[in-house]
Amino acid sequence: MPAADLLSSQGLRLDGRRANELRRIRCKLGVFTQPDGSAYLEQGNTKVLAAVYGPHQASKSKSSSDGVVVNCQYSMATFSTGERKNRPRGDRKSQEISLHLRQALTAAIKTELYPRSQIDIYVEVLQADGGTFCAGVNAATLALIDAGIPLRAYVCACSASMAWGARPQPLVDVPHVEEAAGGVVLTVASLPNTGSTALLEMSHKLHMDYFKMVFSSAVQGCRDIEVILDRAVRDHLAEGWTEQDTVTV
Amino acid sequence: MWTTKTFLTKTKRGNILKIVREHYLRDDLLCGSSACNSCPHKDDEYVLDLKPVSICALFEYPHYIILDTNVVLHQIDVLEEDALTNVIILQTVLEEVKHQNTSIYQRLLEIVNSKKRKFYCFVNEHHKDTYVERKPGEKQSDRNDRAIRLAASWYAAHLSSNKLEHQFPQIVLITDDQNNRQLAQEDGIVCCTVQDYIENVNGFAGLVDKLSKNVMPESCSKDALYPAHLTPAQIHTGVKNGQYHSGTFHASRDNFLEGTASVHGFEKAILLQGHIGINRAVDGDQVAVEILPEAEWRRPSDIVLEDKADDPGDKLDEEAELLKTVKPVDNKDGEITPTGKVVGIIKRKWRQYCGILMPSKIPGATRHLFTPAEKRIPRVRIETRQSEILASQKILVALDSWPRNSRYPLGHFVRALGQIGDKSAENEVILLEHDVPHARFSEAVLACLPPNDWTIPDEEIKKRVDLRSLCICSVDPPGCTDIDDALHARPLEGTTDDGLETFEVGVHIADVTYFVRPDTALDKEAACRSTTVYLVDRRIDMVPDLLSSNLCSLRGNEERLAFSCVWEIDENANVLSKKFHKSVIKSAAAMTYEEAQITIDTKSRRDEIAQSLRILNKLAKKLKRKRMDNGALSLSSPEISVAEKLAEEFPQCALLRRHPAPPPANFTTFLKAAKQQVAPSPSPSPSPSPSPWGNG
Amino acid sequence: MMAGNVSIRLASERVNPSVYSGAVLPRFYTPGEVISGMKDYMRGHGTYAEDDCLKASVAGVMQKVNKLICIRPLKNRYVGEIGDVVVGRVLEVQQRRWKIDTNSRLDSVLQLSSVNLPGGELRRRSVEDEQMMRQLLQEGDLISAEVQNVFSDGSLSLHTRSLKYGKLKQGILLKVFPSLIKRRKNHFHNLPCGISVIIGNNGYIWISPNVQDVTVQEQKDEIANSDLQPVNQTDRETMARIRNCIAALVTSKMMLDDTSITYAYEESLKYESVKSLLDPEAMLDVAFLTQHRIKEMTQE
Repeated sequence: MPAADLLSSQGLRLDGRRANELRRIRCKLGVFTQPDGSAYLEQGNTKVLAAVYGPHQASKSKSSSDGVVVNCQYSMATFSTGERKNRPRGDRKSQEISLHLRQALTAAIKTELYPRSQIDIYVEVLQADGGTFCAGVNAATLALIDAGIPLRAYVCACSASMAWGARPQPLVDVPHVEEAAGGVVLTVASLPNTGSTALLEMSHKLHMDYFKMVFSSAVQGCRDIEVILDRAVRDHLAEGWTEQDTVTV
Repeated sequence: MWTTKTFLTKTKRGNILKIVREHYLRDDLLCGSSACNSCPHKDDEYVLDLKPVSICALFEYPHYIILDTNVVLHQIDVLEEDALTNVIILQTVLEEVKHQNTSIYQRLLEIVNSKKRKFYCFVNEHHKDTYVERKPGEKQSDRNDRAIRLAASWYAAHLSSNKLEHQFPQIVLITDDQNNRQLAQEDGIVCCTVQDYIENVNGFAGLVDKLSKNVMPESCSKDALYPAHLTPAQIHTGVKNGQYHSGTFHASRDNFLEGTASVHGFEKAILLQGHIGINRAVDGDQVAVEILPEAEWRRPSDIVLEDKADDPGDKLDEEAELLKTVKPVDNKDGEITPTGKVVGIIKRKWRQYCGILMPSKIPGATRHLFTPAEKRIPRVRIETRQSEILASQKILVALDSWPRNSRYPLGHFVRALGQIGDKSAENEVILLEHDVPHARFSEAVLACLPPNDWTIPDEEIKKRVDLRSLCICSVDPPGCTDIDDALHARPLEGTTDDGLETFEVGVHIADVTYFVRPDTALDKEAACRSTTVYLVDRRIDMVPDLLSSNLCSLRGNEERLAFSCVWEIDENANVLSKKFHKSVIKSAAAMTYEEAQITIDTKSRRDEIAQSLRILNKLAKKLKRKRMDNGALSLSSPEISVAEKLAEEFPQCALLRRHPAPPPANFTTFLKAAKQQVAPSPSPSPSPSPSPWGNG
Repeated sequence: MMAGNVSIRLASERVNPSVYSGAVLPRFYTPGEVISGMKDYMRGHGTYAEDDCLKASVAGVMQKVNKLICIRPLKNRYVGEIGDVVVGRVLEVQQRRWKIDTNSRLDSVLQLSSVNLPGGELRRRSVEDEQMMRQLLQEGDLISAEVQNVFSDGSLSLHTRSLKYGKLKQGILLKVFPSLIKRRKNHFHNLPCGISVIIGNNGYIWISPNVQDVTVQEQKDEIANSDLQPVNQTDRETMARIRNCIAALVTSKMMLDDTSITYAYEESLKYESVKSLLDPEAMLDVAFLTQHRIKEMTQE
């Protein structure tokens, strides 16, 4: 499927970014007091909230002695898209994304530490402008860190598409306009620190020859996002740090 | 590296949908001028000259030109001349042009991509200093004009801030919009109209001829010959409430005062007659038509009517005579057709037309008439000072406008194609009139090609089935350079259960897909051309020569990439199995039909090529007989397995050959003609009589 | 009557609640970051070993005890230690035990054998007692207790075998992050303002009207009576003020103990209405003044 003119001859995308540039990411940890951990994240015009409860006692049916049970719920606010739409929780798309979220996040959480426990992660999309899953993963990572839940490393997600100009070029961090242009969208959730990939999803067929190009661009996007998230976490630590914390025995 | 200021652009659409888009403003965009030492240019990113040479007498100092959208839209023919250089095309302009006319947009891109023209695209919409936000209540076009003016002042300030010792280039804004010009002057921007600029250009004869005579067609109410067209809004509401109908106008080939418009909801096309009825519609235009009351319905005239040979000036005359000829109407006539009149133009479908100039009889006049080769197109009035040279040439003319007070549409000369009667000029006319893309392949397309000394890389061979050891040959007409398929056949060891001999037969087609990747410029160009066009004396390639007659031509003794289809066939030509794969082949021989026949017939030849040809020949005969036995039309050849495979793998886009029965309507003209031959009808048959209206 | 006075602020007008300024920041570690090579150190909480390296698994500051390295996050669930005072809520009544929510990652257990039965005498638990369990403590009841034991999976067993522990009746529960609770010998405080607070190690804080010395009131009838007595207006206002003061301290991430709460209370008195303490500026002011006084005190 052709994605027409996603990259201008001057090398700029429709919104003025270059092919390898992420959208502006702004985030904040600890936005709520009630959950154990929470975070708000903006990736361009995509805005999501994530809340983490737990680890707490798992309900008997789910309880596992091997490790913590991770529960994810992804939902979109009625006002999140251009057209107001009542989205009953658990519609098929949300359910699928919930499963993907769980797969991506479980890869990072040190689940073996907490047998018989459960972690509930809620991700709510306030405004959707493409890449809601990616923003969800990134926000959930921050919320998990805020909750003090042990992670192997940051798990970051980023999407990438392809511009078929004179020279095919991958586009990182795909907003809605580019998604709607009908090009391929590859979503990657990875642990950039360890170099492992937690989840891969692709919207259309893509010739194998180009896959590597798109994939490495998405992974580079994940790495860039990790740097941004790490800075946010450190800022949050600096803000919330109390002198008593440094007491060493 | 990049500013992350977000601006929101809001648009409303349909059932009020608010779309909020990000808009990043950058500080790393270049101005492209060699006179600039503040932008971080790399050496190959300078487009505009340090000291541009002025060719215009009005501005004798070095300057860069900034164009307004209307200039690009109307004067693309002027821009395509090699005269204007050091031009800045703003992104605002580029996008407006793209939005309004894609073909002009493509032509503009061609100019921009051509290095020697020194056209620089400045991305003012994403530059932090030149972005303009739309004010509440401001029209989009006004905002764009403001953006253009801001960019012009920015450039002027930017270049002067470099504190160069020598004179730095100034900025000249060319716009035909009077309002914009006035506001620009208030801002201290140097500006002028296209006409002023071009008429003062020195050293480029003929450039003035290419100026488009663009006037507002509806504003010329003085001495109006034609009724005014309705505004788009009036047409829209009229079409919506059924008062008017929208349709495509088809001019009659035989009668220049008659045409039809096919309109939805009417079985017959609406008949449009006379200057007033047609009201400046040109063949192909999308028009709004008002249907006349049934009492005025007519049958199409059977007469041939040609426009007068000489220039009658701006008046309409033949009307009455024409109408007289068609007045007698029998209401029960089966050929009666609804009539109507054009009330407005929804969309012009003007292109450039080939034809000949009819020089004015007054010596030294600059206004002349042009007769297009296509009879459906009216004559065009153009202005040129080179009429003596052009009179003997085939020329290309573009339509600009058709004001109410002009009998003929106004146009301008685009280029000469060659002497009348010259073979290459006439070829050019045929190609242009049939819209066959025949320009040389663009830089972008050629950039997709592999180097001339390309050989098959090792890793590609590893990915493919290696058939280089097989004895493959091709059979084509003599002199064929694009050998797109090749064959092989060899006996297999085993036999079928019935004890029949088995053979392996392979068809190898050149693997063009390796070179033509989807959605590349090459792919799009090839899709646009869709076939190689063969003229009597030349060939217009679908893909560049390097591919069609070299890399994708399965020449003898050269390794080539191919897509292979290999069958196992028994001696009665029944397909036992089939395989499809990409491969590498090396054709043993590229033969002509004659050579192949000789090889088969020469009994002494026992080499591999001869044997494989004989097997193929034998099988082909069997297949042909089978096909004949089955009643010729059913395709029981091995080819059908390719079709099956295609249909299975690409159900959405498999295009298998199918011939629907032609609709009976296709034959009506023929039947009518036949009828007249058999039993001449009482009405006078249309014949090319010496006087066009001699049948009255 | 509800006063329809709601103030909603823009995010840009938010008050930065931090009271620490200009302090030297310690080294922070974030998940996946390498702390050091494995050889020299033992891995503690918040760390894990991978590729011969010791890496952080949470975001926080390092704590080193000899060779043991831990990373302490800003906040996490309560990790109990024997002897901790906790405030918890009854979730479930089971066979001879209650399930208690103590903000840990697993529910805590209160055995029937670990509670004082009515009458106070120590005796064997009979079948009748088992049937009476729900009358003693039912779902939703709040209790204060002490950690008796920590099981291998990290879950806690509690006891209330002291008169200061047991069911909580009239008061306010406030949940804060456990990391903000300062470990002290005593977590039961009768504040000078006539209000008592139980600062649970698990981050649950109970604010209630001052009860007279509990040990004096032996008769259970009297206790029962006091439970039902309405709390007077001033006490209620004082409790609300204490609650808001603690909330202010928490917003500014200040450690909680009787001193900080008392100081905050005293500083808050300049705001006459309790409600005005919900104003972010007022909260910051109270927290800032409290911080100032604590600093002065430690310097002396």
